[in-house]
This record gives sequence, C-alpha cells and structure tokens, in this order.
Amino acid sequence: MTVDTEFIPATSDHKPAHSPIDVSSKAFWAQTSEQRDQRFAQLRAEDPVSWQRPVEDAVAPDPNDPGYWSLVKHADIVKVSRDSKSFISGQGVLFDMLPPEFLEMSQSFLAMDAPKHDYLRKLISSAFTPRRIRRIDEQIKVAAREVVDSFAGNPAGEIEFASECAQQLPVRLFCDMFGVPDELREQTARSAADIVSWADPEALAGRTPAEVQLGACETLHGVAAQILAERRANPADDLFTNLVQAEVDGQHLTDAEIGAFFVLLSVAGTDTTKHTSTLTVKAMTDFPDQRDWLRADYDNRIKTGLEEFVRYASPVMTFRRTAVVETELGGKRVMPGDKVVLFYPSGNRDADVFADPERFDLSRDPNPHVGFGGGGLHFCLGNQLAKGALRALFSELLTRVPDFQAGEPDLLGTNFMRGVKRLPFTFTPEM
Amino acid sequence: MRIVVDRDKCTGLGMCEAEAPDLFEVQDDGSLTVLNDRPGSDDLEAAEAAVMACPTEALTLVED
Repeated sequence: MTVDTEFIPATSDHKPAHSPIDVSSKAFWAQTSEQRDQRFAQLRAEDPVSWQRPVEDAVAPDPNDPGYWSLVKHADIVKVSRDSKSFISGQGVLFDMLPPEFLEMSQSFLAMDAPKHDYLRKLISSAFTPRRIRRIDEQIKVAAREVVDSFAGNPAGEIEFASECAQQLPVRLFCDMFGVPDELREQTARSAADIVSWADPEALAGRTPAEVQLGACETLHGVAAQILAERRANPADDLFTNLVQAEVDGQHLTDAEIGAFFVLLSVAGTDTTKHTSTLTVKAMTDFPDQRDWLRADYDNRIKTGLEEFVRYASPVMTFRRTAVVETELGGKRVMPGDKVVLFYPSGNRDADVFADPERFDLSRDPNPHVGFGGGGLHFCLGNQLAKGALRALFSELLTRVPDFQAGEPDLLGTNFMRGVKRLPFTFTPEM
Repeated sequence: MRIVVDRDKCTGLGMCEAEAPDLFEVQDDGSLTVLNDRPGSDDLEAAEAAVMACPTEALTLVED
C-alpha cells in the first residue's frame, strides 16, 4: 500500500545568499537553549523567512542539498503546518539528514501525506481520544503515584530526575498501551532514548550516529516482532493487537510497517513527555512564584499550566516540510522542492503572539503555542495523553515533595529534541 | 449560534471534546458526534474555545 508520487528535487533557483544569521552550524546547536533563543529572536526581527545553508555535519549529507527556508515566526509555522497540500511530509520531516534505512524503519505515518497517512493514523487514533484518555485516567494517576513512591521517601533527598522520575511514567504508559511485557520494557526505553541522541557525543560513546540509530531501530523492530507473534496467537486489549488485526485496503500491515509504527510512537510517546517534565521542574525552580500560584489551587489552575509547560519546554525543536507548489512566505519566493524547516521553540517565543515570552507564566491564556505542532493533519496525536501524564505527575510532585529544587540540566546535544540527559533534583524526603 | 463541522477537515483528534465535553464526542471510529449543535449562552464560551482549539480548522460557529 504505497502511494507513489514523483519526488520533487530541491533546486537552487531563485535563492538569495545563505543567511549570515546561521542556524545550521554544529556550534549553534551545541549552545544552550537560551543562547539559541537569542539568535532566533534576531532572525524573527531581521529575516523571518531566511535561506539557510544545509545543516552542518549531517548524519547522511546530501551533496546536492542547496539549503532550506527557516521559519521562525509563529504565524509562518502555523500557516505551513495547516497547508499540508502545499507543504508535504512525504519527502521527509527531519531537519537533520539521516540514513534512508533508518527513516524507513522509524518514521511511519509521520513522513507520509494523505491518504496513506490518514489510514495509518486512524488505526490507532481511537486510543488517544479524550474519552479513552479519561477512561484510563485512574491508571495514569496510579502510575504517577508509584513513580513518585519510588523515590519520595529516599532519605538522601536527591535523585537524577530525567532517568529516575521523568522517563518512568511515559515509558510505563506507552508500554501499557502497546502491551509491551515487563521483560522487554527496559530495552524499549533505552532504544527510544538512543534514537533521539544521535548528535550527542556522550550518548554515542564512540559509535557513529547511524550505528546507534539503526541498532536502536533493530532492537525495537525485534521487540515488536516478538510481541506480534504472541498477539497473533493470543489477541489482547492493546495497540499491538489492533495493529495485527487492522486491514488497510484489504491487506494486513506487514511486520516492518508495524515495527516502524512502534519506533515512531516509542519516541513520540516517551522522550517528549520525559523532557517536558524535566524542563518544567527546572522552570518551577527558576520561577518559584509560579509554583506557589499553581499549588494554591492545582485542580483549577493546571489546565492553563499544562499548556505553558509545553510552550516553555518546546521539546520538539524542528520538523521539516517540502513545498510542492510555488508560493510566497514572508516576501520570499518558495519553489517546488524547497525544504522549509519549522523551528517550534522560536514560534513559542514570538512576542507578536506571547506577551513577555521569556516568562514562565502558568496563567497564560490564551496560549496558542506550537509545542504540539502548528496544527494540521500531523498535530500531535498523543497531546491528551501527554497532558494527562503531566497533570498526574505534577499533582504528586507538588503534594509530596513540594519544596524540590532542580540543579543545572545537562543538555542533550541534538537539533531535534530539546532534551535533558541529567538534572540533579533535591527535596525534603517524605516521612 | 450553530456549530458547523467540516467533515473533510475533521481528523477526530478530539481537541474540541477536551474543551467542551458537553458539546462534542469523538467516537472510537474517529468520527465526531456533535451532542448539541446549538450551544446555549452557558456553553457558548466552551464552544468558542473548541473552535479555536481545532488544529485542522474544521469547526465554525455560524449565526442563523
């Protein structure tokens, strides 16, 4: 069930010089988020739709790549996201250039267009509706409680937050939904984390990015294959069973297609929430008045709070589209085949939309952030689940270890996920 | 005011239901049921929030 459309190559036609305000260099992405935000602010003010050189030090460089248009204004990100007929995903969605084998094994419907995208996404979307998330709300709360149980009484009053808390809840919820058995959870979590760490020297530990990514993909496909064989024999109430039983155009999905689904959702469903909650405990340390405000009436204030968690953290930093028609963006002439890259953290700091954008303001309302995407067909499927998990986790943290203090985060070096490798986290232990 | 759904644009994500559960419900097959397409004054604010929240701009509020 492939939909073959003609590949539209990128061209150098009608392009200005590459922008001197560069967001492609390795050095740029090695900076802190605050430093990057300054350059994005400069681009928003001086060259909101800029022509950039290709990303430096790509994993799989394309010698014919002329560059890309960088979109940093909220309005442009929203416009392109919502016009999936003019700006397609089928020619790739990642900012970095990655090996084709990896993309084949990992992207699934993320890098597809209608109608195939819609078919595949619909196979699992019923698991993510508000009604379904409400139905598992109690399960989410129990999971959050048990995650906090695991450290709140620790007499040292100190943990490494990213791995010992933030990662635990989304991994558990993801594995529950898919039906991943206990003995395969550890390697599922580790592989999902490896996939987003391709540009980080420490995570690579001497291996090449392609080795790490392909290795992690193969592990996840292996996990999927094991579970699929089991579910074919013994159906259960989980997403693997749904995918095994699903038919598209009268055909069952192949193991490879289901494996790619699993890889995509393992990253989309775990790393994003992990990094959002980690960056949020840091923000609550930096803005204690906001923590106090939220704690004073959690149930009534968490709704706007959750949106601000996501705006402020902006865990997914980049996705790409490809133009298929000639169009104009910010006064620039965009040609068929041109890549456009959406810089979500920049859209989320755009002062035309957000007053005092650097401030973590949990009462911000309206808060039309682009942390789940700028809208359109690819808008984050798991947004309700993510918010449910964050709501339950912060309810526990602010009740049981309310005086927590986050130290300085050790950031993941990558141009995709605004990630935290380690965050020291201290608190008064529960008696 | 009346709620109009553009079925070609709706993807069944349920952002509207999260904003206004009394007005919208996404079914397991991804189709959207409008529980009440003529929101009263009590529900109007929620209906407007639902229209704003829709990422595919599938909802409109029209005067009749």
